[in-house]
Formats: sequence, C-alpha cells, structure tokens
Amino acid sequence: MTFGRTLAIARKEALQLRRDPRSLTLGFLIPPFLIVFFGYAITFDVDDIRLAVWDADRTQASARLVDAFVASGYFRVVDRLERYPDATEALQSGDALAVLAIPRGYARDLAAGPSPVQLLVDGSDANTATIAIEYAQGIASAHSRRVTLAERDARPTLVPDSRAWYNPSLDSRNMVVPGLVAVIISILAALLTALTIAREWERGTMEQLVSTPVTRLEIVAGKLAPYLAIGLFDVLLAVGIGTLLFDVPFRGSLLLLLAMTSVFLLAALGFGMFLSAALKSQVLATQFAIVATYLPALLLSGFIFAIANMPRVLQLATYLFPARYYVTVTKAIFLKGVGIEVLWPQALLLSALASLAIAATVAVFRKEVA
Amino acid sequence: MADAAASAPPFAEGGEAVIVADGLTRRFGDFVAVDDLSFAVEAGEILGFLGPNGAGKTTAIRMLIGSLPPTSGTARVAGHDVAVEPYAVRRAIGYMSQLFSLYGDLTVRENLDLFAGLYDLSGERRSGRIRWALANAELEGREEQLTAMLPLGLKQRLALGSAILHEPAVLFLDEPTSGVDPAARRAFWELISDLAAGGTTILVSTHYMEEAEHCHRVALMNRGRLIAIDAPSALKASLERPILEVRTSDPSRAAAILDGLEELEDATMFGRTVHVVVSDEAVARERIAAALEREGVELGEVRRVRPTLEDVFVSLVRKSGGVVAG
Amino acid sequence: MRGPSPRHVAEMVRKERRQLLRDPRTRLIMFVAPVLQLLMFGYAVNTDIRDTATFVVDHDASASSRRLVEAFTTTGRFEVVGRSSRSADIPSALDRGSAVVAIEIPAGFAADLAASRPARVQIIVDGTHSNTATVALGYATRVVQAFGREQGRAGGDARVALRGIDLRSRAWFNPGLESRVYNVPAVIGIVVLLMCLLLTALAVAREREIGTLEQLMVTPLTPAELMLGKTIPVAIVGMIDLVLVTAVAVLWFDVPLRGSVLALLVAALIYILAGLSLGLLISTVSRSQQEAFMTMFLFILPAVILGGFLFPVETMPAPFRWLSVLDPVRHFLHVVRAIFLKGEGIAGLWPQYVGLLAMAICALAFSVLRFRKTVV
Repeated sequence: MTFGRTLAIARKEALQLRRDPRSLTLGFLIPPFLIVFFGYAITFDVDDIRLAVWDADRTQASARLVDAFVASGYFRVVDRLERYPDATEALQSGDALAVLAIPRGYARDLAAGPSPVQLLVDGSDANTATIAIEYAQGIASAHSRRVTLAERDARPTLVPDSRAWYNPSLDSRNMVVPGLVAVIISILAALLTALTIAREWERGTMEQLVSTPVTRLEIVAGKLAPYLAIGLFDVLLAVGIGTLLFDVPFRGSLLLLLAMTSVFLLAALGFGMFLSAALKSQVLATQFAIVATYLPALLLSGFIFAIANMPRVLQLATYLFPARYYVTVTKAIFLKGVGIEVLWPQALLLSALASLAIAATVAVFRKEVA
Repeated sequence: MADAAASAPPFAEGGEAVIVADGLTRRFGDFVAVDDLSFAVEAGEILGFLGPNGAGKTTAIRMLIGSLPPTSGTARVAGHDVAVEPYAVRRAIGYMSQLFSLYGDLTVRENLDLFAGLYDLSGERRSGRIRWALANAELEGREEQLTAMLPLGLKQRLALGSAILHEPAVLFLDEPTSGVDPAARRAFWELISDLAAGGTTILVSTHYMEEAEHCHRVALMNRGRLIAIDAPSALKASLERPILEVRTSDPSRAAAILDGLEELEDATMFGRTVHVVVSDEAVARERIAAALEREGVELGEVRRVRPTLEDVFVSLVRKSGGVVAG
Repeated sequence: MRGPSPRHVAEMVRKERRQLLRDPRTRLIMFVAPVLQLLMFGYAVNTDIRDTATFVVDHDASASSRRLVEAFTTTGRFEVVGRSSRSADIPSALDRGSAVVAIEIPAGFAADLAASRPARVQIIVDGTHSNTATVALGYATRVVQAFGREQGRAGGDARVALRGIDLRSRAWFNPGLESRVYNVPAVIGIVVLLMCLLLTALAVAREREIGTLEQLMVTPLTPAELMLGKTIPVAIVGMIDLVLVTAVAVLWFDVPLRGSVLALLVAALIYILAGLSLGLLISTVSRSQQEAFMTMFLFILPAVILGGFLFPVETMPAPFRWLSVLDPVRHFLHVVRAIFLKGEGIAGLWPQYVGLLAMAICALAFSVLRFRKTVV
C-alpha cells in the first residue's frame, strides 16, 4: 500500500463528491438538519396527560384532590364524566388518556382510614401509561400526607432521598440529542459508502481502475478517506448544535469523542463499502444497507430500548452493530464525562469491527477481479 | 421479410412524407442541441443522420419519437403530430437506441414476450413474430438464457428484433452498430436494406461515415444544425475540387503544416493520411512537397482520391465557417 | 386519454414479477428480512422496567437493611448486580454503566427505624436515559415508602399508616402494561413500509439509468400503465409480508389481535399502496438511483419518528404534530394499535382510512403526472 496511490484515489473520490451537490448535501447538511429537526420534535417528557374526572363525591375534599392533579402540571382535565361507564368511551376514543374516579364517600373515608380512589389508564402505550401512573401515585401520596398531617401525627418514618445523576432534571432532551447524533451518523455512514463501489462496477469505471497498479486496499482506503472527513465534520457540527442550541451538557473530552468517532466511522463506512463490493448492484446494496442499518440503529443500539432488557441472544447480536457502541460513547462523553478508562472496551470492539469490515471488503473485492 | 412488406404502407395518407420535421429546435439552458431542423423522409427511404458526437443526432431522434418535447417546431411521423397524438405515433414506430435497452435480468423469451404484449400482438401473429425475431438473431434454442449473458452482437440483433416485432411503418435507429464487429455490422445493414425494400421508412444515425453509403439519403449534422441533405453520390459530386491523399511520416504535423497553406483549401487528418482539397492539382503537388521538405517531414506517396462523405462533411463545415464538433 | 389497457398492465406485472423473483438476494430482502426483523425488533422494543441493574452500598449491614434490599428485589423490578461498603464505588459503577440504580443505606439505619427516628435511604439513578430513570425512581420511592409503612405498622401505629388516599390504578387494553404489545404492531407498520420503499424507490430511477425506460416509453405503454405495473406486484409482496409479520406478532409474541382481521387487511392494503406510491414518486422525481436513494433516506427517518413509533405524537411541539398529519406512518400506527389493542373497527377509524387513501391516490397521481412531464 503506497500513500501516493491511496491519496490519488481519495482525491478522485473527493473531486467526484464535490461535483455531486446531492451527495454533498446528504453528507454535510442532512445530519445537522435532522439533529435540529428531531431535537425539537422528540421529547419523552410526559407532562400534558389528558385526564377525565368522574367525581361522585362532589365535596370540597374531592375537588381539592382534582386540584392537586392539575396543580402538579402533569395532568390537564379535558372532561368531566356524568356516569362511571362513560369512562369506557373516554378511553376508547382516545379523548382521555386517564380517568380519575372518585367514589361517593371519599371525604368521609379519608378521615377514617384508606379512602379508595381509582385511576383508569389507557395502557396501550405502556411507557406513557407507566409514567402517568407514577405521577398519579406521587400526587396521591403527597396529597394524603398534606391531608393527614393536619392531624399532626403522621410523620413518615422512612424518607427516600432520590436523585438522578448526569441528568438531574431528567430532561429527555439531554438523552435524545447525544443518542440522535449517534443514530443519524450510524445510518448515514453505511449509506454514504453503500453505492461507491457498486456504482463504479455498474458504470464500468471499476474495470479501468483495477487495471492500474492500484491495490484493492488502496482503493478501499482511498474511498473511505473523504467520507471519514465528512463524518468527523458532522460530529463536530452536532456537538456545536447540541450544546449551543439545545443546552445539552458536554462533560467529556472532545478529542476522545473525535478519536472514538474515527474508529466508529471506519467500522460503519467499511460495512457500507463491504455491501457495495459484495453485491455489485446499487439497488441491492441500497436495500441491504437500509435493512441492516436503519432499524437496528434505532432499536438495537440502546438509544431508546435498553439492551439489558433484551433476551441474551439478541443482546449478543447487538455487538455486531457499530451503532450500539457509538450510542454508549456519545452518551458517556456528553453526559457522564468519562474517559478512555471507561470506554476502552468500546474502542477495542469498534476497532475489531472496523478491521473486519475493511478486511472483508478487500477480500470480496479480490475475488471479483481475479 | 415478406410479411413486413405487406403491412408497411407505402405512403401515409395524402401522399405526405412519413417523417416530417419542421423547425425542430431543442435548447438545454443556453445550449442549443438542435437548431431549426427541417426535413422530410418518404416511405421506404433510408435516411442517415451523419455527424460527430454532440452533433444533435440523438436529441433530434428523441424529439421525433416523442420522448423529448421540442423547445419549438413540430414533428409529424406516419401522419400524426408527435406532440398531439403520441400514442398513435408509438404504435407506428420501432426504436432502438445506442444503449442496449432490453432487460438483462429477463431471458430472451421473456423480453420478447414483454414487448410483444406491449405492442398488442396476439395469437398466431404474436408467436410468429417471436419466432421470426429468434431466427433473425440466431437465438433459437437459447430462449431461456438471461439476456445479460449474450454477446453484444446478439444482444443488438435481439434488440432490433424486439423493436420491430410489431412491423412498424417507421423505424428509428440511434447508432445501432456502435461497438459491433464489422461482420455483424454488415449483416445488420442487409436487414435494414431488406426492411426498406419492404416499404419500411428508416431513420438511422451513425458516426461511421462508411455506413452512410448504405443510406438513400444522408443528412449531415454539425453542432445542432443540418448542413446538407442529399444522396451520398450527389453529396460527393458537389465537391468538385480534387482531393489529394498525402502519406507522410507524421500525418498530424503534416496536416498542421498544410492546413491554411496558399493554393490549398484545407487539409485534414484522415486515418494515417492527410486529405488536401486543392484547386489546381499540379501546383498543389509542388507546394505540398516544398512545404513538407522545409519542415523536415518525410513525404511518401501523393495521389488523387475520390472524395468520401467525410471530405464532403469537412468541406461543408469549413465553408460555413464552422468547426467540427466533438 | 384512454384508460389503462389491462393487457399492458398484465404484461408489465409479469415482467416485474419475474425480475423481483429472479434474484435470490432480492427474495431474501422481500420475504426473509421482514420476518427476521420482526423477530429481532419484537424482542428489542421493550421499555418495561424489569430487573434493573442495581448497585447496593449497605453501611448498616443489619437485618433491617437486608430486608429493605429484599423489598427491592422481590418486586422483580430491581436486580442487585453489585454490593460494596464504600460510597466511592457508586460513581464507578454508574460511570461504567454496569448499574443503572444505586441504593445507599446509611449506618444506623436499623437503629433509627427501631427508635422511630426518621431514617434516610439514598437512591441514585443514571439519568442519561430519562425515561427509565423516571420510572425506576418512582418504583424505588414506593418500595421505600411501603417498607416504611410496614415498619410503622410493626411499631404498633397501624391507624396512622392506613390513613389517606389509596390510589388504585388499572390499565385498560393492556393490563400488564407490557410495552411490547404496543410496540410490536408498530414494528409491523415500519417493516412493511420499509419494504414498499425499498422495492419501489429505485425502480423507475434504475430503468431510467440503464435505458430500458426509454425503450418502454416508445411502445404504446402509457405512464399510468407503467405505474400500475410497478405497483401491483409490490403491493402483493407487501400484503404477503404483512400477513407473515402479523402471524409472527400474534403467534410468537402473543400480541392480542382484538379487532377484525378484515379491518386490518383493508388498512394494510391502503397503507401499502400509499407507501409504494410514495416510493414511486421518489423514483420519478430522481434522475439517478443515487438521488432516489438519498431522497428515500431523507424520507424514512422523519416518517418513522413523526409517525409516533418511538415517541408519542402528542408530546411533540405543535408544528411537528401538524406536520405528522402528512405522515402515512402516523395514521397506520394509530389504526394497527387501535385494531390490535382496543378492538376498534373501520367505523371508529374512518378518518385514518380516508387520510391514507387520499395520500395513496395523490402520490400515485402526482407520480404519473410528473412522469408524463419529464418523460425520460
């Protein structure tokens, strides 16, 4: 492998990119655009739960309980139900996500002992429903403390002192933005290179290229170089957008992020190039690249769904997707501020994947030309 | 080819020519690809579009078959205005482009099936025409092969076969022989002549000057303009000055030296030789010898040759003050 | 303009079918990939908080503190992955991500409880995943409160502990609050859409690039016939895929299908038509396969995210909610989730059906028009 020939391929690739405004747009503008777009669009924060109220007690005490729900800021009363069975309709139609049912005798029971109140939740979206229930439990227990405290005696004997590290306000944006950077770059990386080799075979320029003294590895390395530069540029831009526009903390080292990004990009770009070299058809390379990157980057990377929750076999499978490591890396460097002493396993495995992808590309390549 | 002859009308209704271009112009931004092109082709005639790459031949053909709308001007094919009745035109024409444009991932038979269906052939006629196309491309017994695996010459013949499955009255061929070996090219032109003899009107573009000799008339195009249209013999006859073929040790330097020399009209590289158009043969021979000796170029044989279409082309372009494109 | 000729359409359908089925790699993409994807992602799309990795630092090491830790683990929500007696081990466990929750029990915990002095327990969660953190914090808080009440009762003051509101929550449509039941039907929608786009978005662009499109367009084939010929085979593949992945969802993942199968099939057909019309539209407006590919890339991610697959549409800011009305994914996910979980029928979901149908028709009509204008 000579540096000069690799450089010649890289220069050719960069020149073609420069003359191809669409590829350039895809590489440079789309990732920041998507990060801004989704940064605003995506929030996990459940804070406007549509609540329907059935209050059969109609006392001051029951009204205060409803007020407590509204005052929490998490619930908004959208409907007052006349009859208990109306709850079915409210949930079925989706007009309300939850129904608070206060039975007759609520105020009376409150003084005597436990006073039953019911919260009916549309459980379809388990995630939102779970959070809604959590909020309601919190509101109810705080409210009962307030009510019973008037009687002086109920000082709780055990107080949990809870805090969330790395993201004390539990703001979902702090979680979404670093993860999003990783997901978008992962998808983009494979797509950028998936066409490069197949296109040259389809257009016949590859035969020309392989008839020169250039080696397979030089072609692969030369083709990777410009995309690596684009990817690094995108990540820098994403860090800027995340910290300046979305106020996401950046606690780790930028240098470490760039180093990890380079290794990650080699793995992801290398995978795209492998598909391109192995399939030699733009249509097929596209199809395989999209199937192998899109949903895995979203669903198997730990971006939204915790890998620890998956069955063992699937957990093992996630190790095949570079996105998995990179989501961990971005979150850790943005939010936790940890260094290589924690991230070395990711660095090691990403390097292994990158070498594997490049070696596989060179291998399938050689077979085709012989 | 008897059945082709039977279905091809000798003339479109009212004795109108089969292909009529009237002021056809196409611009791409500032670039004028075809500029005010007007001509007519009669039934059973083979018209050759001749010109270098970029002369506007393909653009002109694409406007005539209706796949590219003209910026201005009109085209009528087989009695129908291409812009107004595109489907009537499509039913009447066959088209084969310089790109191989059958499906490589379909077999020979599947490709023929497809085009027979799209041209609404059915029953006996359909199977008969498919048999004919297979025989014509000498592909009997290879019907189940993937088209992508065929050698280029066979692909080309299969493409031609599927373009004329429906025995069109008019056939457009855009550089049909590019990349094909001479023997296959000869066979191809025999088929074209047979079709024309059967009454099919054919417009064929080429940049092989010698192929133009097979055409009844030739339209010379350069830089989007039609610079002459006539029978090949008439075109050659129009060039009344003698042409000297000069053999030298270094034809490209010789051409540069001789071009623009007094008494010589123009000098052009012509393969390994230089063709010089002169007014007085005897004077010219002396001047050529003198000029080349002065510049140290070794002079071989100088002989008078019959003008070729390329000579005509070059001379016409020069006369109109233009440059050969491409 | 005459209507499409059934012969021409049939001829194109036959050609497309042959091309689609010829290459084993394409068959793999069409029939194996969707099932494989659903099998993998069906397991992945799980936000349930179960066996959360928990790190315990117990400075008290008493019977009470051990019982508190047990109270955590018996809920099934928490799993102790590490123990230590030094506070300094908590940051390293959370930094490395080996634990998501840490419980620190101070020295003197048992003594405080016995003396009815207020005792404190510290709970720390890794907030990088805000969602999991919120829910885990809630669970942990309630475990500690319940433990405290129990201790109080054991101390004899039962009356006080029993006072107040007893909030009982019940989740309808999905009583176990399993996130999979909600997410798997959505994965069906996404996988099928992906398939439609993969098979159509490059279809016209590819023929344009290799020159076969021009050859087709000089035959009497009309743009509408061409589009129908490209649509019908992919629609059939899409429907086969839908049936396959629905079977996996119902039989393998035990997702309840409460509504009518017919309503699901009708919705799927319209949705598939919308998806592949959009694919064809992408293909017609692109001059090369590469362009088509990039346009598809730009389309899929927003379509998936604005569709409410991973994040509820309701929590998005208003402009994004309005934009999502144009997203077929959003309507289809609404429909499949309602059919699967709530047992809704076409009657209750007609606005979604009409919206999807309108999108399918507009996209197909626009691609035919657009195609006619640019011809080749």
